[in-house]
Amino acid sequence: MRGDGRSRRVAVVPDAYLNPAPGAADRLAELAEGGWGVVALPQPGLPRDVEAGALAAVVDQLAAFLDDGYEVALAEPDDRAARRLVELLAADGRRIEAGASP
Amino acid sequence: MVVCYLAHCLLNANAKVDEGARCAGVSMPVLALLREHGATIRQMPCPELGFGGTRRFWAVREQYDTPAYRAHCRRLAEPVAAQVRADLAAGARVVIIGIDGSPSMGVELTAADESWGGRPDKPRDEDYPVTPGAGLFTETLLGLLGDTVPPVRAVGIGQDLFDYDETRELARLGRVVAAEGGPDAR
Repeated sequence: MRGDGRSRRVAVVPDAYLNPAPGAADRLAELAEGGWGVVALPQPGLPRDVEAGALAAVVDQLAAFLDDGYEVALAEPDDRAARRLVELLAADGRRIEAGASP
Repeated sequence: MVVCYLAHCLLNANAKVDEGARCAGVSMPVLALLREHGATIRQMPCPELGFGGTRRFWAVREQYDTPAYRAHCRRLAEPVAAQVRADLAAGARVVIIGIDGSPSMGVELTAADESWGGRPDKPRDEDYPVTPGAGLFTETLLGLLGDTVPPVRAVGIGQDLFDYDETRELARLGRVVAAEGGPDAR
């Protein structure tokens, strides 16, 4: 038995956190050091239907966390996919906070 | 270029069942290894989280193996498969990284036992019935990708195994990623 090691802190991050540009700060590693788990938004450039399917999956995951009281925060609220996510969650009556930082 | 599709919980242990998490959030050793190899990282959805929520019990394949859960897995796997195909078309090699021992995300090892069901009565870690085979989501995704050329490589990290050995598992993962990302991969 290991006990419940889950941090109950979830940051929603853009693809650039998973795959930072050469020389850019590793924001994913910084969030990880702060105990955050992450849910990645779809990468830019996907066909509209594929992005919609991927975003729907993100909504599913986040709804589970939000409904059980986990801390869920957007790392980059101005990201295009993040703004779309906020709209989709709002349509289901859910809100997500901005500002995940290490 | 190698693109690694990670089981959701490798970047978010909050998706695991209670007592199933091996870290608070991101599996740092896995992230460090993929960074070291210059891999592009993509995160797959967790089918169990969306279906059973964060309060779900441990379970085996037989408990999830329903038409509704398989349809759920297919709905989640279709966008992943489309992204994999796009990465392959762009010339990348693709590695799917699952969780060995998981009823959904297992690659070589899953959990299966006809006797599981009803009152939870399997409290010991040793009771978890690890069995050769893939999990339901992995099986669905690989089925959707069955005709891809070049074929994708799938590997499981044994984080759901009682005798999980991180050093051993990371070494195995490193060999797979290196082989797919190396100059002789194509």
